[in-house]
Amino acid sequence: MTARKIPLIPTLFILPSILFLGLFIYFPLVQNLYNSFFQFSVFSPTKEFVGFASFQQLLQDKVIVAAFINNVKYAVISVFFQVFFALVLATILEDKVFRRIAPALRVIYFMPVMISISVIALLFTFVYNPQMGLLNSFLELIGLENLAVPWLGNATTAIYAVIAMSQWQSIGFITMLFIVAIQKIPKDLYEAADIDGAGKIRKFFNITVPQVKETMFVNVLITVTGSILVFNEPFILTGGGPGFSSTTLSVLMYEQGFGKDNMGYASVIATLIFVLSAIFALIQIRVSGTGKDD
Amino acid sequence: MKKMLLFSIFLLLLSSVLSACNSSNTTTASNEEGKVVIDFFHRWPNEPRKSFYDEKIKEYMEANPDVHINVNSVLNDSYKEKIKVLVSSNDLPDIFSSWSYSFAENLVSSEKIMPLNDVLSEDTEWSSSIIESQYEGFKFNEETYGVPFTVDGKAFFYNKAIFEENNIAVPKTYDEFIAALDSLKQAGFEQPLVEGLTDTWAISHYLGTIFKRVVDPAVLEKDYKAETGEFTDPGYIKGLEIFKQLTGYMGDVSTAMDHEAARNMFAAGEVPVLYMQFAEIKMVQEAGKVDFGFFDFPAVEDGKGDPTALTGAPEGWMVSKTAPKETIDFLKFLTSAETAAEFTKTDGQLNAVKGAVTSDNVNATSQEAYELVTNATSTAPWFDNAVNINIADVFMRGGQELATGQSTPEDIMKTVQQEAKKLNK
Repeated sequence: MTARKIPLIPTLFILPSILFLGLFIYFPLVQNLYNSFFQFSVFSPTKEFVGFASFQQLLQDKVIVAAFINNVKYAVISVFFQVFFALVLATILEDKVFRRIAPALRVIYFMPVMISISVIALLFTFVYNPQMGLLNSFLELIGLENLAVPWLGNATTAIYAVIAMSQWQSIGFITMLFIVAIQKIPKDLYEAADIDGAGKIRKFFNITVPQVKETMFVNVLITVTGSILVFNEPFILTGGGPGFSSTTLSVLMYEQGFGKDNMGYASVIATLIFVLSAIFALIQIRVSGTGKDD
Repeated sequence: MKKMLLFSIFLLLLSSVLSACNSSNTTTASNEEGKVVIDFFHRWPNEPRKSFYDEKIKEYMEANPDVHINVNSVLNDSYKEKIKVLVSSNDLPDIFSSWSYSFAENLVSSEKIMPLNDVLSEDTEWSSSIIESQYEGFKFNEETYGVPFTVDGKAFFYNKAIFEENNIAVPKTYDEFIAALDSLKQAGFEQPLVEGLTDTWAISHYLGTIFKRVVDPAVLEKDYKAETGEFTDPGYIKGLEIFKQLTGYMGDVSTAMDHEAARNMFAAGEVPVLYMQFAEIKMVQEAGKVDFGFFDFPAVEDGKGDPTALTGAPEGWMVSKTAPKETIDFLKFLTSAETAAEFTKTDGQLNAVKGAVTSDNVNATSQEAYELVTNATSTAPWFDNAVNINIADVFMRGGQELATGQSTPEDIMKTVQQEAKKLNK
């Protein structure tokens, strides 16, 4: 009689999602953490308990640092292009001048998002091909053949070539999110600014940017966590090479686990990736103060 | 009442979810009307081998109506991953293809592979029809765990026409080889030698042979074992320097392409020299019209190693411990002289069965290669099969870094020594 009644219907509604989350997200997460304390291979029937040894190895591993720097490069460049540049692009597409061709342009920018990343990566191996690639042929055509390098085979350019492909693919998606946000800005704000005699650039910084702040936050979160997890692009384009010059944390984790059969160490790297993305997400939530709109 | 109904619906949903999670295939051995089922797994879903094996399976099932063979295949790299999963999940196929040396050793360490000594000694007529030396890569602790089938080796292939035009003789020593590459460079070949360095295994093939030439065999034997490896011999640094020198002839593009692209360049006559496997001879012939010959990796002056050791390791078949006894009969069928002769005729790859490679089914170049393989003083396994993968990886990535100038031989050896120490235990 006194026990607080748990409402049955709402509980039933959330149960399936809790079940799935628990089974496919939280359980593997805990198991991964558990595996981090062992050393084992997929062939061996037993796991050897090593405590924090793998974590110590992690701290001494130079490749981890190189991979992390690549992830940071990925994040910084992605935030610049996919958040800042995409916002500019969205503003331009929503401008009155482009009203008539904007729908067509939107489709064009969105098209790469719909293609599978594996297909795009294979496509770009042809673009970057040093002998018959589109990029080098184009550079030669306009007389810049001294700029033509084997993009994916050069240790300094490999990671940037990979990042560039990512930008090409993802910018349309983020632009689309911004377009939706811009369309929701009340028109009277712009009209008032027009009456006050504000120019387009002034309107962009004083109306558009503050009004899409929430979307901007979501987009930064998407790009930064995406950059920490990035795997397909470097794995297919370069396999992390030459050397470790374009290796990211996820590629390293895969190589350790399935290439070199160090499942325990791979679990440690997975834990590191999880901690890093969680930290970034927390920082961003704190800094932007989402949810406290007014 | 209503709540009861809701609750039962919920239970129904839940049970379906749970059973979906649980419905892994527990009953694989489908009873093909009481037939014995053999699960056969190989790594050639590509032609011509896929059809070849499909054909052979059909032939075998017609001759043995009480046996049914389930076949499955995935390509090279996926095969390596899939077999690992199958081993760890107790779902190992009855008979499957395997590489020799460390790959085989890993599989054997799962204790799920059938030891074959008894089977081999029971039927010596069959077991002795396979070249004795090729069993080596499947022997661990005096016990044989696999039957070798294909054999392979690696050598420098050269474009005969280009060599003649520039009056270059086939080099006998490493110094002559470098001189030959230099004169080819002067003759206008920007890259007289080529390799697809994005394929790290191609680097390991180079390094394996170079180490064979410059390092004392006794030192190699000690270092290649995970328990005793140190890698402190100065020969390794010299070996890496040799590799670095060779990458200097490969041009900028090598670090950005794969081995297949390199082979196509050779087949098109754009590049005069390529380090290539004998298994690729037929592919080059089909891709281009160049007239080519080959020479073994030349001896290195002051090299303490074996100047004529050939690099190359066989691939073969393994049987799982739980396989039905009919599997052995199928294994004999797969490695019979008739199957082998037909296989080499279809595919071009050489095989380890005596008398199954003749002028009837291979061309002159392949036959010459076959002689070299079967008469080699010693054969060295592929480097990435010979040493622990953690060591091999440092060398392979290091090889890329040497080619792009990011690292030095000394630095690479330092990392190798650290890795070796970790494995010592």
